[in-house]
Amino acid sequence: MNASLDHIHFLLRRLHSLFGLIPIGAFLTFHLWENSQSRFGADHYNLEVVSALQEMNYLPFIELFVIALPLLLHAAYGLAISGQMRAELSRYPYARNRFYWLQRISGIGILAFLLFHVGTTRIQGLWQPAVRDDLYGHMQTLLTDPLVFGLYTLGLLLSVFHLVNGLSTMAIVWGLTTSAQAQRLFGYLCIGLGLLLGAIGIHGLLGFLP
Amino acid sequence: MKEWIHLRIRRQDGPETPPYWQTFRLPYAPDQNVVSVLMCLRENPMTTDGRQVEPVAWDHNCMEEVCGSCAMSINGVPRPSCSALIDDLEQPIVLEPLPKFPVVRDLLVDRARMDAGLRRVKAWIEIDGIWDIHEGAPRISPAEWSASYLYSRCMSCGCCMAACPQFGPQSDFIGPAPLAQVRLMNAHPTGRYDKTERLHRIMASGGLSDCGNAQNCVRVCPKEIPLTTAIGELGRQTTLQSLKDLFGQG
Ligand code: HEM
Ligand code: SF4
Repeated sequence: MNASLDHIHFLLRRLHSLFGLIPIGAFLTFHLWENSQSRFGADHYNLEVVSALQEMNYLPFIELFVIALPLLLHAAYGLAISGQMRAELSRYPYARNRFYWLQRISGIGILAFLLFHVGTTRIQGLWQPAVRDDLYGHMQTLLTDPLVFGLYTLGLLLSVFHLVNGLSTMAIVWGLTTSAQAQRLFGYLCIGLGLLLGAIGIHGLLGFLP
Repeated sequence: MKEWIHLRIRRQDGPETPPYWQTFRLPYAPDQNVVSVLMCLRENPMTTDGRQVEPVAWDHNCMEEVCGSCAMSINGVPRPSCSALIDDLEQPIVLEPLPKFPVVRDLLVDRARMDAGLRRVKAWIEIDGIWDIHEGAPRISPAEWSASYLYSRCMSCGCCMAACPQFGPQSDFIGPAPLAQVRLMNAHPTGRYDKTERLHRIMASGGLSDCGNAQNCVRVCPKEIPLTTAIGELGRQTTLQSLKDLFGQG
C-alpha cells in the first residue's frame, strides 16, 4: 500500500498549500497587474486588456478549473481548519502569532469580498452584456462610491497580506526555509513582495476613478 | 526593599470541580523562586484574609530546569516555576495550572498527552534487533552533534504546547515537542533506521500538518530549542518522503 496515499490528511494539507500559490496566488498577481492598466483609460482597458482576455479560447474552462475550483477547495479547507485556532493575542503578542491569526481572519474577509466582487462583475456580466462591454465604466461607477472604494481597498490589502504571509509559511511547510535566519529573511522578502503587489493594486484602483 | 511576596493562585479541588482564586502573602526573602515560595506557603497555607486552607498542590522535582515537571502559567506565560525568580516577577504573582492540560488538582496537571505524542511518533531509538544493530559507537560529526544536542535538551515540560494556538482540546495536534524529537531521532545514526516510519506517523492527522506556523512555541521554550527549525526540517523530510511514496524510492 502506498503510504503517502494512506495519509490523505497530509496530501490535502499540501494541496491546500500549493493551491494558495498555484494557481490562486499566481492569478491574484496577474489580476492586479492586469487591472493596473486602468490608468491608460477606458479605450485601452476595454479594447486591449479586457477583450483580449474575453476572446481567449476555452476561457470558461480556465475560469472554472484553474481559478474557481481551486479557490473553492482552498477556501473550504481553510475554513475547516480555521476552527482549530485558539490565538491568544494578548498573551502572546508576537508578530508571527498575529500574522497566524490574520491569515485566518483575512481568509474569511477575502471570501466575503469575493462574493461581492465576483457577483457584481463576472456574474452580473452574464446577463448584462453592457457590464462586459464597458467594464471600465462599470468599475468606475462602482468605485466612485466611497464605500465600495473602501471595500475594494480592504479586500485588496487582505488578499495581498494573505498571499505573502501564506508564501512565507508555505516555505516552512514545504521545508524551503528551515533556520530561523532563513525564515526571517524570506519573511522580509515576502513583505517586500506584499508592498509591491499592494502598490500595483492601489494604483489600479485609482486608475478607475474619474 | 519589598516586604511581602503577593501570590494570586488559581485553585481547583479535583479534575471535575470548578476553579476558584485565592490570594496569599508571604514575608519577602531575597533569591527566591516560585517553587521555593510555594514550599514556604505549604508550611502555613493561610490566605491574605486570614483563612487556613488546604496546601497548594503542584509538581516539582529537580529544581534546576531539567525535569520539566514544575511548568505552570506564571503571570500569564507558561514557564517552569523553578527558574522563575521572584525578584524578576511583577506582583501579585499570578499562578495558574499549565494551560491546555487537564487539571488534577490546583497547579498539578496531567501531562499524559505529552507522553502519548512522544509514543505516537516513536520518540526513541531501537537498539535491540534480531541482529547486533549497534557495533561500536556510531560516528557523528561535531557539527551534526552540536545541532542535534539542542533538541536533546527537551524536558517535556509542555510549555510549547500550552502556548501553541493549534494545540488543545479542540484538536488532536500532538504539538511541537514530539515533532522536535522526531527531528532528533531521525538524525541519530541508529535512530535513522526508523526514519520513514516516524515520518509516516507525523504525516497522519494530528501530526506536522496541523502546525499553523504561529511560532509561539519557540518564543516560550525555556530550553531555547529551535522548534520552528525542527518543523521546517520535518517539512523538508516529509516533502521528500511523500515524493518517495508516490514515485518510488530514489
Ligand atoms: C485571494 C485568494 C487567496 C490566496 C491568494 C490564498 C493564498 C494562500 C497561501 C499561499 C497560503 C499558504 C499555505 C501554507 O501556509 O502552506 C494560504 C493559507 C491559508 N489560506 Fe488562503 N488564499 C486565498 C483565499 C483564502 C480563502 C478564501 C480562505 C478561507 C476562507 C483561505 C484560508 C486560508 C487558511 C486558513 C490558510 C492557513 C493554512 C495553514 O497555515 O495551515 N484562503 N492561502
Ligand atoms: S520543547 Fe521546550 S517548551 Fe517544549 S516541552 Fe521541550 S523543553 Fe518544554
